[in-house]
Amino acid sequence: MDTLSAPHPIPVPDGTDTEIRLEVNGRKHVVNVEAGDRLSSVLRRQLRLTGAKEGCLEGECGSCTVLVDDMPVNSCLMLAIQAEGRRITTVEGLSGPDGELSSLQQAFVDSGAIQCGYCTPGMVMAAQGLLLHNPNPDEPEIRYALAGNLCRCTGFQTIVEAVKAETAR
Amino acid sequence: MRALRAPDLEALIALMRRSDGRIDYLAGGTDLIMARQDNSWADLIVDISQTAGLDVIDISGDMLRIGAGVTMTTLTTHPVIRRTAPMLAMAARHVGSVQIRNRATLGGNIASAMPAADLLPVLKCHAARVEVQRRTGRLEILEFDEVVLGRGQTCLGNGDLIVAVRLPLALASGRISAFAKLGPREVLTISRLNVAALADYDPVKNRLSQIRIVAGALGPAPLRLKTVEIVVGNRTVDQSLADDFLFALSQAVDRTIPGRATRPYKRRAILGLGLDLLRDLFVYEFDCTALPEQRV
Repeated sequence: MDTLSAPHPIPVPDGTDTEIRLEVNGRKHVVNVEAGDRLSSVLRRQLRLTGAKEGCLEGECGSCTVLVDDMPVNSCLMLAIQAEGRRITTVEGLSGPDGELSSLQQAFVDSGAIQCGYCTPGMVMAAQGLLLHNPNPDEPEIRYALAGNLCRCTGFQTIVEAVKAETAR
Repeated sequence: MRALRAPDLEALIALMRRSDGRIDYLAGGTDLIMARQDNSWADLIVDISQTAGLDVIDISGDMLRIGAGVTMTTLTTHPVIRRTAPMLAMAARHVGSVQIRNRATLGGNIASAMPAADLLPVLKCHAARVEVQRRTGRLEILEFDEVVLGRGQTCLGNGDLIVAVRLPLALASGRISAFAKLGPREVLTISRLNVAALADYDPVKNRLSQIRIVAGALGPAPLRLKTVEIVVGNRTVDQSLADDFLFALSQAVDRTIPGRATRPYKRRAILGLGLDLLRDLFVYEFDCTALPEQRV
């Protein structure tokens, strides 16, 4: 995407596609997007990173959560063009080079915090965002951090226990 | 449709002056992306989420100046905000979820002008002034009420942009404040009612001299409850004050939304909010069983 600077003339509209550079999970990508494309859509359809889900597409369910510069955001409420120059981490970025789960992901497995699994990537990324900034959260802090993520299977308790288990490691 | 990123305010102002046609300024995007989900974007989207100069928080003279691009998360955590405008930090903490707060901005909350917006009653209570950069190049410093006109209505013309908000420190200095919100659930919830209060209170004499009270989600725009302020001003803080305060709040609801279907709910709900406010403001064991509903 073009970046303005004051002395330069304003670019004239010249089409619908915009070329942007994204850094996702440590890898750099160049993708052509439409200006109005959501980050969640570009991650899933162009980069084939389908961990983040497009559940509600209105910031209610949290299943599209990714980290932007280590902060959890709803990737459905951010345009892809806004991600240029930012560091994006999706759930795929947590696992090791051979696909081994991160300790937080393993804690979700061990705690039975996964049932249908649809919310899990968003939950894990919200928890990851919490733990990056607060390695030892108490239960109210965990619940506050996960309040933007809906799960319709577990009743949330096992998810909270998974995050607690990770902090206890 | 074309998208540009403005690296700083200078570039942004140059753009708005030179371009014609509709512009969508996109900051956090948590409201605007929803509003444009039918792909009704303007011909030009200007990403201002990384624009230097919109993220400032500083004190100059007797004014706290907060850039329009400051996020809810920053409002919640920034030491200057917490010290000089704790009510603003508290209200920001109640907005949406962590994910929303990491993106949503002060300027966006004003520009969207939703009746239930959590920051708006706080800003009005603080007698905030708003810096509006007009497309013509003129910077205007406007009163809050001149900017937020009603549900989704502001003074902003196409291409105009909110740049910053100014809070007069003298109004808040030495005063206590509280913000209370009621929604259908505890978090990630849109306010059914919210109330902000800024009070001049002497804890030694246990005397409330002045108070400013603003309610949100009661009308199309935040509403200052001057009649309630008069009822409780210049009084000792005790149960009698609480009873009169809560009664006056209910009356204010009756006066404001007399024919509205939500009136029976809101005239009761505001009692609980009022009690929350009093308990946050004052160290006094207010009696919640004595809600003056018989008088309502």
